[in-house]
Amino acid sequence: MEDLGKQLSTLLMVAWLLPFFGFCIEVFGGYFKWRLTKTAAYIAVGCIGVGFLCSVVAFMQWGNATDWVVFESHEGEHHVSADHDEAAKSHDEHGAKHDEHAKEHEHGEEHADEHGEKAEGAHDSHGGHAKPAVQTAFSGQIYHLARFGELDISIDYYIDSLTLGMFMMVTLIATCIHVFAIGYMSDELTESYEDHFVHTSDGGHFKRPGRFYRFFSYMSLFCFSMLGLVLAGNIFQVFVFWELVGICSFLLIGFYVERKSASTAANKAFIVNRVGDFGFIIGLMILWTSCGTFRFDNYEDHHGHEQPGLFQMVRGNDGHVTQDGDAVVLKDVHGEPLTDASGSTKTIPYMLLVAAGLGVFCGCVGKSAQFPLQTWLPDAMEGPTPVSALVHSATMVAAGVYLAGRFFPMFLPEVLLTIAYVGCVTLFVAATIAVVATDIKRVLAYSTISQLGYMMLGIGVGGWGAGLFHLITHAFFKSLMFLCSGSVIHGCHHEQEMPKMGGLWKKMPVTAFTMLVGVIAIAGLAIPGTSIAFSGYHSKDAIVATALQFVDDNPVHILLFIVPLVTAGITAFYMFRLWFYTFAGQPRDAHVYEGCHESPSVMCGPLLVLAPFAAWCAIGGEHGKLFSILALSEPASTEVVHASHDIHTAAGSFALVAAILGTLTAYLLYGKTIVDPANIKRQFSGLHTFLVEKWRFDELYDVMFVRPSHVVGKWCAGVDKYIFDEFLHGVVRTGIRVSQWDRKFDEGIIDGLVNLVGNVTFSIGRSLHVFQTGNIRQYVMFIAVGVLMLFALLFAFSFAILA
Amino acid sequence: MAGAQLLFLLFALATCASAVMVVVSQNVVRMAFWLIISLGSTSALYFLLHADFVGATQLLVYVGGTLVLLVFGVMLTASGPHVKIKMSPAEGFLAAGVGCLFLAMIFFTVIPVANDWDEVVIRLEAQNDVTDAGGGYNALGEGNTTRPLGLSFLGTRPDKDLNSTSGTLSTGYLLPFEIVSVHLLVVLIGAAYLARAKRRVDAEEA
Amino acid sequence: MDELSGYLFVGAVLFVCGVICMTTKRNGIGVLMGVELVLNGANLNFVAFSRFSPLGLDGQVVALFVIVLAAAEAAVALAIALNFYNNHQTIDVDRGNELSG
Repeated sequence: MEDLGKQLSTLLMVAWLLPFFGFCIEVFGGYFKWRLTKTAAYIAVGCIGVGFLCSVVAFMQWGNATDWVVFESHEGEHHVSADHDEAAKSHDEHGAKHDEHAKEHEHGEEHADEHGEKAEGAHDSHGGHAKPAVQTAFSGQIYHLARFGELDISIDYYIDSLTLGMFMMVTLIATCIHVFAIGYMSDELTESYEDHFVHTSDGGHFKRPGRFYRFFSYMSLFCFSMLGLVLAGNIFQVFVFWELVGICSFLLIGFYVERKSASTAANKAFIVNRVGDFGFIIGLMILWTSCGTFRFDNYEDHHGHEQPGLFQMVRGNDGHVTQDGDAVVLKDVHGEPLTDASGSTKTIPYMLLVAAGLGVFCGCVGKSAQFPLQTWLPDAMEGPTPVSALVHSATMVAAGVYLAGRFFPMFLPEVLLTIAYVGCVTLFVAATIAVVATDIKRVLAYSTISQLGYMMLGIGVGGWGAGLFHLITHAFFKSLMFLCSGSVIHGCHHEQEMPKMGGLWKKMPVTAFTMLVGVIAIAGLAIPGTSIAFSGYHSKDAIVATALQFVDDNPVHILLFIVPLVTAGITAFYMFRLWFYTFAGQPRDAHVYEGCHESPSVMCGPLLVLAPFAAWCAIGGEHGKLFSILALSEPASTEVVHASHDIHTAAGSFALVAAILGTLTAYLLYGKTIVDPANIKRQFSGLHTFLVEKWRFDELYDVMFVRPSHVVGKWCAGVDKYIFDEFLHGVVRTGIRVSQWDRKFDEGIIDGLVNLVGNVTFSIGRSLHVFQTGNIRQYVMFIAVGVLMLFALLFAFSFAILA
Repeated sequence: MAGAQLLFLLFALATCASAVMVVVSQNVVRMAFWLIISLGSTSALYFLLHADFVGATQLLVYVGGTLVLLVFGVMLTASGPHVKIKMSPAEGFLAAGVGCLFLAMIFFTVIPVANDWDEVVIRLEAQNDVTDAGGGYNALGEGNTTRPLGLSFLGTRPDKDLNSTSGTLSTGYLLPFEIVSVHLLVVLIGAAYLARAKRRVDAEEA
Repeated sequence: MDELSGYLFVGAVLFVCGVICMTTKRNGIGVLMGVELVLNGANLNFVAFSRFSPLGLDGQVVALFVIVLAAAEAAVALAIALNFYNNHQTIDVDRGNELSG
């Protein structure tokens, strides 16, 4: 198994590092050589494509080596759920004893576990979950960076089925988007690109050299960062790549840096993310001071002893958090309480662990654009559309959800509840704004926020598998839709306003068709009574079902079920609104319609590749292969909630009804136009304005944070100006006065002395120069007289001495 | 003794008188003539001092070489028969006064040295470990100095070391001799160069 | 007054005559002759001391060196005098006062 871990880590490392290699080549080669060719793009596509192949090979190897235990366990699970159904039925029959749903649920789980034992004949020490005996998760160290005292900083890997799934998803989507971008960005292949959105003072448009190669080098760097984040084996490494991803996002949003809106949006995205990362850092500090390690999994320290990782410390072997008063007892590799050198038990205060969880979740809120930091994501649509597709819908913003899922064992119930409510608020707010948005990309951006809210909600209510399931399915259909919108924008010559479109399906059938697939997927439509449905139905159904199960157990939190249900309807409404608005009906702007054309095959190809994935990647729902791959990595945590079957059925029905209602409304309003939407808009003009202004979050933040900081800034400036500056000026004035005195002293006395010596010497020389006659004979006479005088002196002295 | 003293007086008078005549005469050619007399008489004084080799060299080099050189100089730089280069009388008087004072001063210095000379000789003999200054190889007064001078240029000093009782040897003049010879060569080349280069430039200018 | 002092007096006369000759002659060749006289006066002292001291032939050796160097000096001085004559068209040393301050 060690060999398998090595092989997997090598393959994934290749997939991870290739884009970085590509980035280095593209950024230099592009600058010096490939400004006008597509070489950089081909390198980028090659790198990420090979990365995808490596990921698939890694997955196949992993599956072969584990005898495809993932699907066996799925079958076992299937079997279990069948039993589970029976058990539930029998309990229903004997329902008198077990009225409370929660209790019944617990019981059902116990039954399931017992059956699982029998069915699989193998039950490992991981307790409450039907995990196989074969090792399926691998962790280790790639490179040791540094050790500061106790703090070990290294590049680790942690590979389980979630990692492999994310790798395949990210590399596949990224490959498609790279190919798409070759077509979309091709007008940058020029020495003078005219930016129609930047006006110069003379009324013309700004011109600059094309940045084709730069776009692809940024994309490669982004892929490298994202894959590094997914592969990371410790939370510090996650943080490093987290920031790298943020930088790439900043660079790509600000790709058209000359546009004021683009540069502002880039700054906004970066600064809002900083707010979240602040919490992340606090969480990191708490974890380091209390636990002493950043690693997820158990590891060998430099003495060769096996040390517990973070998950093991908190959850132990059975997934329970052991409390000792107000503190949480940390556990060692055997699940026993961890002792330090002096023999006392190591603990962490309960509230501190909650704070750590909340801190890390803060980072997720920033990155995944959750309430209240959601405002940056719509503005991030200033970047090129492939960027929106890859970074701001499919992968980077999903990183927050991924981290929440990866870090799930560390989250205590209080934290999870916070996550659930944050997701709940986010999904509703974003969906309502999406209803009134008219910019095609902004509708998709708000739907992204809303769907991310769904994922957060799913994870928050304990539906670990459901949340990440939705993460993967959403990535496929949202990247598909974004690429479609990119195709529309490209075809309509950078027209993004939906009111100017309409009837485009005749002009661009491929785009319209693939877009429809994505819309159906996200709306969660299905044929009632069967499980024949597109991917969005399955994953959203899983989340809603988990929410209902959670509400069933805790009726206080009824909102957590109602809101997602209502929003499911809204989602269907605004997505179909988008489709009808854009592709159906009569052309509203003849100019746009006339100039519109279908995109070239290099852009349509990726759409056609992604469409089947968007439609059927989740086939089979929670009994399908995708879900079972993810579920295999489900963490050992008592907070995980599984919906029972009838609750599942009920929730699925509710959600389907809501979706169909939303779809019908959209059809009637925008497809058939039985009621003019403009009338409705007029009727609810107040509400409409409120929604168009995005719930006034930007204004609220302006009043709450920006203005107060301005006031504080002015105060600081005042203090600076009138106190510090005055003080400094005083010091400087004193210095000047001292130097003036010093100057006088220097000029008067020092220079005077030196000049005096010089002048005296000079005047002596002047007076002596008359003796320098140049007459040889005179010199000889001088010598003779000089000798005479010397001797005269000598005689005089000798006489004086003798006397 | 009387003969030697007579000869000394004769040559000393000739030397001094012709030296004074060199100073007094205004014609360069006459100056050269009186200089020959003066230098020749000096070489006679050398013979009287038993320095026969030095005397011979004086005759050969000075009278036969240097003075001929000077006469050549006189002829090469002659400005013409009517050009007289004369000094002012004031200068003459000044020079005469200074000369007299100078002479007086030297006499005044020489007298005590000559008076105390015997004591100086005794002290030098003690210092230099010379016990029998009168006898031996080079009895003073023999006047045959050619061979000892030649030997001293080769580095051996029979005049000092032959009767010495101490075991040490005195130094000779081999190295200074060599240096002087090279020096002479350099000087002659330099002189030839100096005298020649300027003329060629002049010829070009002309 | 013994024999030694007689030689020393003669040397002194030669020396002083040489010096006076150097100071009074405006002719460059005359100055050179004064130099020769001075050297001869000194040489005479060397030889006299060599004769009347127990120091052997050192004085005579030095006198020989002086004679040789005087010859060399005369050669160089003559070259200088010729150059001087070429430059000034005269041998009057009072005309060569370019170095006056």
